[in-house]
Amino acid sequence: MAWGGFQIGSLTGSTVRAPSFKSLISRIVFLHIIAVAVVAIFLPLVLFWLLNSEIDQLHRAAMRAQAETLAERIAVQGDGKVTFNLPESLRGLYSEAYGRYQYDIRDDEGRLLFSSHRKTGDVSSDTISGAEVTQTVDSATFHIRVGEDLSHRDVITDDIVSNFFRRVGWITIPILLILLAIDIFIFRRAIAPLWRASEQASNIGPARTDIRLPTEQIPREIVPLVTAVNQALDRLEDGFRVQRQFTADAAHQLRTPLAILRTRIETLGNSAVRQLLRDDIEGMSRIVAQLLEIAELDTLVLDPGETADLRAVCAEVVGAIAPFAIAQHKDIALKGAEEPVAVRGNADMLQRAIFNLAENAIKYTAPSTSVDVEVCGDGAVRVRDCGPGIRPSEQTLIFQRFWRGDHRHTDGAGLGLSIVREVVDDHAATVAVENLPTGGAQFTLRFRLAGEASAPWSAQPD
Amino acid sequence: MRLLIVEDNVELSRLVANGLAAAGYESDIVGSTEEAREAVHNVTYAAMILDLGLPDGDGLSVLRELRRQMEPLPVLVLTARGGVQDRVNGLRSGADDYLAKPFAMEELVARLEAILRRPGQLLGRSLRLANLVYDTESRQIFIDDKPRIISSRETSVLEILLRRQGRVVPKKNVEDHIFGLEGEVASNAVEVYVSRLRKQLTEHGAKVVIHTIRGVGYMMAEEK
Repeated sequence: MAWGGFQIGSLTGSTVRAPSFKSLISRIVFLHIIAVAVVAIFLPLVLFWLLNSEIDQLHRAAMRAQAETLAERIAVQGDGKVTFNLPESLRGLYSEAYGRYQYDIRDDEGRLLFSSHRKTGDVSSDTISGAEVTQTVDSATFHIRVGEDLSHRDVITDDIVSNFFRRVGWITIPILLILLAIDIFIFRRAIAPLWRASEQASNIGPARTDIRLPTEQIPREIVPLVTAVNQALDRLEDGFRVQRQFTADAAHQLRTPLAILRTRIETLGNSAVRQLLRDDIEGMSRIVAQLLEIAELDTLVLDPGETADLRAVCAEVVGAIAPFAIAQHKDIALKGAEEPVAVRGNADMLQRAIFNLAENAIKYTAPSTSVDVEVCGDGAVRVRDCGPGIRPSEQTLIFQRFWRGDHRHTDGAGLGLSIVREVVDDHAATVAVENLPTGGAQFTLRFRLAGEASAPWSAQPD
Repeated sequence: MRLLIVEDNVELSRLVANGLAAAGYESDIVGSTEEAREAVHNVTYAAMILDLGLPDGDGLSVLRELRRQMEPLPVLVLTARGGVQDRVNGLRSGADDYLAKPFAMEELVARLEAILRRPGQLLGRSLRLANLVYDTESRQIFIDDKPRIISSRETSVLEILLRRQGRVVPKKNVEDHIFGLEGEVASNAVEVYVSRLRKQLTEHGAKVVIHTIRGVGYMMAEEK
């Protein structure tokens, strides 16, 4: 019943003005309740009608049997006189005092010959129902009618009929409600694989294109949809693969000419122009590198089981940046945890994010001051500088692509912090920025520890 | 000392060859993995500069082949892909160092010389920084060409820092280098030796400086 209701609802939902339920279950419950109500009303009525007619049938059969008993007592004498001999045992039954049963015996012309009730002489009143038999005795035809006064009817049959609603009719409602509950249970079980599939689907993103929806246990009616979605995902993944290949090719195509240009400039005589050109190439290479880095991040496929040692990553970053920092008479130090801090994520990507933060901090920190990179045991990394800090109004803007706080002093394209944001988003991590009371800015990256059960993008490996 | 340049871009390979010539190195140029195999087979080179994206295949395949044949030829990989993963793949395949395009010629020469200076390589004898020279075989130190005596453990520290001058050497590496498998080492031992080395270098008038990168390690550079 539930499935019938569901199909009607879903097929004609747009044309029939039915309440529009978003949930299949509530749609089923709604239609089922209507069906239960209709059945609960009509089923007892039908049963009641059937019971009544059955009792009438029974009653008529009983009357007919009585009439036939009476008919056997009719006799025609030799002189043509008709006699009717009611047995003693039946007299009480047809007595006026008892008043329950009546009989009439008429001849073919309709003349009343014998009757239990002289007063009325007629059994066809409203409250009397009965049966009629025709008996032929010695070529004379007699009509015997036996009736029962319904107002005096048998108490037992009366009780059955009048108590039917009270005693039996209500049982349809609980039965139908149990059916409803069973239907809901069956339906929920049937769509449970769909819930799992949608959970799986929620993990799909640019960083996870390898996930496919499971087709096992999916109801057969829905398998075509799931298969079609999976095929669509296959095509999308192919597209991504082409994109990744393009990124690698673009890297080669852009960087080799840059390398040629750079090397050629170095062969120029030692002049001021040469230094300027070198700086230009430097800036351009940086932008190309960052653009490619972003393109790579956009298409990178994360392995959900991957973990990285945050401390080792930070140590590598600090080691890589230290020579630049020292060249600018600035300092950089690694602080915090002495032991490895295992977090969920790709070491390469974490390194890029932290590198960009640290590089940015070195750029803005005042000469002869230090940038601190602090690793915390809870998966956080803090990068502190002693620069001018970041105006509150700009604290969200800085993570946008191509945003630059001070156009005169920056050599990059304003992509560094957007790379940080991208890595953070891919890792379901967070990044926050605040100004320190002592001056300077502090960026806090917070990654998930490897021990923590569920990062959103790693809820279920295939 | 001859070097082999494997690079399919004619322009770039010519410029690199010129740059190397200016630094005093002669080189041969080939443009495909096939030619590279043949060149390595016929000539003994001091080192190879290998581009990864070649018309007839990946440069890494050449590298892997060399290493399978136990060929110790030092290899500096050049690539347009600068990702850390690429770098790891390159080093795992047996590259000695890795340089992303575009690069400065100076850096290419410096990295190349660093490879050549590694033990067993052709420049293995002396390490140089500013007015400081260290002979890796006799373990002798010269400052302004005069021999100077520095204690043994401090000399070990000097050697490892000098080998990777301009780059940060993790404290753990310094520790391993000094003590090897000696077992339990006092937690501040490295700090002690570094500070003694600093003192001795200053006393002898070396124009070098050892920077401490807190939490990470040390870096030796020219004094400015």
